[in-house]
Amino acid sequence: MAHSLAAAVSFSPPAARRRPPSQVTNAISSRGLVSFNSQRMSFVSIRSRPSQLRFKICCSAKKETVDKVCKIVKTQLALPDGTTVTGESKFSELGADSLDTVEIVMGLEEEFNITVDETSAQDIATVQDAANLIEKLVLEKAA
Amino acid sequence: MSSSSSSSWRPAVAAEVILSCKANALRSETRGMLEEKEKTSSGPRRRWLVDVAQWRPSPAQFQAAATLLPPHDRRAIARFVREDDRKRALVSRLLQYSLIHHALGIPLHQIRINRTLEGKPYLQNKNASFPSFNFNTSHQGDYVGIASEPMCLVGLDIVCISNPQRETALEFISSFTSYLTDHEWNCIVSSGTPDEMLNEFCRYWCLKEAFVKAIGAGVGFGLQRLEFHHVNWTNISLCIDGEEARKWRFWLFKLDAMHLASIAKGHREDATDSFKRTFPDVVVQEEELNTAVEIPEEAFTFWSVEQLIQLQD
Repeated sequence: MAHSLAAAVSFSPPAARRRPPSQVTNAISSRGLVSFNSQRMSFVSIRSRPSQLRFKICCSAKKETVDKVCKIVKTQLALPDGTTVTGESKFSELGADSLDTVEIVMGLEEEFNITVDETSAQDIATVQDAANLIEKLVLEKAA
Repeated sequence: MSSSSSSSWRPAVAAEVILSCKANALRSETRGMLEEKEKTSSGPRRRWLVDVAQWRPSPAQFQAAATLLPPHDRRAIARFVREDDRKRALVSRLLQYSLIHHALGIPLHQIRINRTLEGKPYLQNKNASFPSFNFNTSHQGDYVGIASEPMCLVGLDIVCISNPQRETALEFISSFTSYLTDHEWNCIVSSGTPDEMLNEFCRYWCLKEAFVKAIGAGVGFGLQRLEFHHVNWTNISLCIDGEEARKWRFWLFKLDAMHLASIAKGHREDATDSFKRTFPDVVVQEEELNTAVEIPEEAFTFWSVEQLIQLQD
C-alpha cells in the first residue's frame, strides 16, 4: 500500500544494515525491474525504485523511538543513572517482572498514543522489539 | 482450624507451621531431621524457600557459587544488569539443581534443565519412577522459592508488596484492571484503605501467576480469563472463562509482612501443548492425581544459600 511503502522508503535502516549504493544496485538488478536496463549495472537512486521492490528491512524502528523506549524503561525499573540500556537489552535482564512489563507497556501506550494487545505484548523481549512494535502500531493508526 | 480474625486471610495453621519451620531450618542439627521427613513422606514433593536478603556474598563467594552451575546458566546470570537480580537468578538456579539432585538422586553434572518456547523450565532427564515430575521457581524481593510435585502440575509465585514509587496505590492497581474480572476488581476496591486494596490486588495477581506458571503459559495467556473465589483467602477456587476449574487447588501464604507466596496444583491435561510435550506419554491415574492435587499444603522449608550449596555434596 502507498502509505506503508512511503514509510518504508523514508525509514533510515539501522547502521548495521545500511549497504553502500553498489550493493543496492546489485540487489535491484538481480530482481530484473521494469525500469532498469538489466544489461547495464548503473546506479539507481532510491526515489526511482519501482513499487515492486521491497527490501526486507523488518520495520526496524528509528533511533528516536528506541531512545524513548529506553527512557521509559529506565524510569519504570528505577535503573541507576549510567545503566546502559540499548535496543538489545532484554526486559527480563533489566529486572522487569510481570507487573513491570504491564506498566512499561502502558507507559509506551501513553507516550505513543497506541494500544498494544496481549498477543503482541508477549512477543516483546527486547527494547528493540518494543520500539519496532510501536512504530508498526503508529503506522497502522495513521493509515 | 481456628476461626478467622480480621487479618487471617491466610490459613492460620499454615502460618504457624511456617514460622516454626523457619526456626527449625536455621538450626543445623535439625537439618538432618528435615531431610529425613521430606524423603520419606512425599517422594519428590518439595516446597523450599531462600531469604536472599540474608546472603551477602563477596564477589569471590558469588563466583564460587556460580561455578556450581553449568556454563550456560552462569552466562545467563551474568547478563542481569542489577546485582540483586543476579543474586536471585543464581539462587533460583541453585534451587533447581539442588532440589532435583536431592529429590530424585540424579548426579548434579547429569541434570539437564531445558525450557519450553514460553520459557518454562523442565527436567529433560527421563525418570521412570516419576514421569510427571515438574517444578516451578519464583523470586521477588527478599525471597527465592521452588516447588516440585511428582504427579500433578505445580506453580509457585512470590510477590513482594511494596508501595509504588511514582504513583498512589490506587493509580498503580488501576493499571491492571484489564487483567482482573469485575468481581475481583469489586472485591479489591471494597477491601478498605489503599494499603489493604494493594494487598488484595497482590493476592489475586499472585494466584493468577501461580496458575499460569503451573500450566507453562507465557505472558499472553489472558489473566482476565481467570477469576478467583475464596473465603477469607482459604478454600480458594478458580473459574476459567466462567467455568469452575474443579481439578485445581490453590493456597496463599504470608512469608512476612511484605511478601506473599501462592501455590497452584492441578491436572497435567491443563498444561499448554508445548509443556505437555515435555512429559512422556504416560497414562496418569485419575484417582491418584486427584489425591495428589488435594493434599493440603504444608509449610515451606527455609534454606540458607550455604546449606543449599552443601546439599550438592
